[in-house]
Amino acid sequence: MNLGRRNLLGLAYMAPALLFVAVFVLYPFGQLIYTSFTDASLLGGGKWVGAANYVRIFTGDPQFWKALWFTLKYTVIITPVLMGLGYALALLTAQNDRVLQFARGVIFMPVVIGLGTSSLLWFWLFDQQVGLFDKALVDLHIANSMIVWFTNADWALWAVIISVTWKVVGFGMILFVAAIQSISREVVEASQIDGAGYWQRVSMIYAPLTLRTVLLVTLISAIGSMLAFEQLYIMTGGGPRGLTFTSVYWIYQSAFIKFQLGYGSALAIVLTAIITIAAAIQIFLTSRSAPQ
Amino acid sequence: MRLPVHSSLLALALTASAVAMPGAASATDIQMWVRASGATAAQFMIDLWNASHDDKVVATVIPDNQMVTKLATGSQAGDVPDMVSFDLIYMPDFMKAGFLKDITDEMKKDPNYAGVAQAYKDIATYDGKIYGAGFTPDVSVLLWNKDLFKAAGLDPDKAPATLQEIHEDAKKITALGNDTYGYYFSGSCPGCNIFVTSPMMVAAGSKLLPTKAGDDALTGDGVKDVLTEMKAMWDEKLIPDSAQADTGANFFATFETGKIGIQGTGGFAISALKHDKPDMNFGIGFIPGTKAGEASAFVGGDVIAIPAASKHADLALQFIHWELTDEAQLEGLAKNSIIPSRPALADNKYFKDEPRVVTTAQALGKGFTPYALHFNDMVNSDSSPWIQMLQTAIFDGDVDGAIKTAQDAMKAIAAQ
Repeated sequence: MNLGRRNLLGLAYMAPALLFVAVFVLYPFGQLIYTSFTDASLLGGGKWVGAANYVRIFTGDPQFWKALWFTLKYTVIITPVLMGLGYALALLTAQNDRVLQFARGVIFMPVVIGLGTSSLLWFWLFDQQVGLFDKALVDLHIANSMIVWFTNADWALWAVIISVTWKVVGFGMILFVAAIQSISREVVEASQIDGAGYWQRVSMIYAPLTLRTVLLVTLISAIGSMLAFEQLYIMTGGGPRGLTFTSVYWIYQSAFIKFQLGYGSALAIVLTAIITIAAAIQIFLTSRSAPQ
Repeated sequence: MRLPVHSSLLALALTASAVAMPGAASATDIQMWVRASGATAAQFMIDLWNASHDDKVVATVIPDNQMVTKLATGSQAGDVPDMVSFDLIYMPDFMKAGFLKDITDEMKKDPNYAGVAQAYKDIATYDGKIYGAGFTPDVSVLLWNKDLFKAAGLDPDKAPATLQEIHEDAKKITALGNDTYGYYFSGSCPGCNIFVTSPMMVAAGSKLLPTKAGDDALTGDGVKDVLTEMKAMWDEKLIPDSAQADTGANFFATFETGKIGIQGTGGFAISALKHDKPDMNFGIGFIPGTKAGEASAFVGGDVIAIPAASKHADLALQFIHWELTDEAQLEGLAKNSIIPSRPALADNKYFKDEPRVVTTAQALGKGFTPYALHFNDMVNSDSSPWIQMLQTAIFDGDVDGAIKTAQDAMKAIAAQ
């Protein structure tokens, strides 16, 4: 079989996947880029306006940058929370006895609930008048009175972080458990014979040998947080005073509430570029720091 | 299975006759999109139509916040239902975009159309052409808890006649203690407040939204007077803290706790309270302004229109003519405690035993619907100048600054 024929055969095998990517990823993305250079409205029309939408983003839309800043703050706070708590739960439940398997199942359960559903659930749990979470805080003497979580941007941020942590911490935990369980028994036993205590094993055996998984989960979590929308839409409505808009929420507002489809497309392109650069940096650092 | 020869021949003959007579009547499904919050009322009408017509209306319920997007994208793709029932406030945008069928001639010939509430006629007219009709109305009214009024030494049968009276009554009700508050509104819900707070401003003489580029926004003293009074009620803690964060989820639920004295709401509250809280004594009145005798209401609810690309526009038009008849208005709406879109029908046998519904129906005649392009941008969005103004004025205390900022922002939006 000559080289040209082999290449053609390879291309034929790849064709369905390439076609799928072309139709469902590249074409819509190209359309998005084109729309970002128009003044298209959700109600129709759309003239070519050149870079006007991008100029507006960088010079005339402070709310987008506020929203981006809030999104970064949210990401920077919630990512270590999810990583740390997920890893701690994985260490606690990594053994395969029945009680721990059951515990893993319970912790993982919220992952299969939709984010919208869980956000609505927590919205009511945080309610000042009927919220069980607030009631528990008062009964446990952690708070003096029922807290109104969503009148203050910082409180609102923490309310969302608590709800999202409950919802997704099980996902990281399961991946960490899989990584811990894949560590060779011989390595762990050898460290025990050498007299390593529990925390020494965690820091010198588990942590380095699960680093790739940690970096992967960090990447997934950070990108997910940068794209946060439903939880804020349902729990805070962007309030108070527009202080809890995330970038995606602002794109939604621009494109679908204000009907500015062209401008919303430009915002989406800018956000995609920011996330792509951040992810590339993270992947570069991952490839340098992870054990070969 | 084998059919006898004569049966086969009969079937063949029937098929042939059906093919040979294309004009022969055959029932058609008339597809209709209905926004979720108007679905119950719409279904009463649809059931009534379907009971007496061969061509059946089939409703598809669309979540409220998806209706605009779905109709806009559907219209551009040519994939639309035969008729649509949606929030009347979006009519100007859809009419301007050319998404709806012009039904001017047909409506002008319909004697029932002349009796439709003026607010509906205004909102469904663009450039002198008519594009829709009122369908399932709702209108804002003032709601008060008679038990709390009695406990506070107030006359439970007398609605507060001015905003200042609401303020005074709210003081006495809040003084009852035990987490009871005089007044409630959803402080983070732009739509709720255009429904229940804006009528106070309009009643007090203000004009709210610019209709076209160059128009001023939020004119008149009513805006400032209302915001100042509401700020005072907030400062005096006559409104619960949670109101500030309420995005509309507790718009009505808080009143149902029995611990709120007064609030604005919609006509739907009557049947909802009778169903959910049958023991609660409550009154319904007009939303007042700042002087006695002033009153207004936001005329909301759904309009019905025919998308320009409707496949059965003639049948949809028949339905619209029918829904304006006495039969549909009384048996479909009034019988189910829903106000008719023709105010003259407010005095009917079904409302005789429930004067509160009559008050609601009368409010329809006093009401207004703001006619504005970019309504979402100006009012309904979570970052709109409207909600920013309310929050900055009432919760932060900067009434003048809030109004000025909102005026400039609305004017800029109208100029787009």
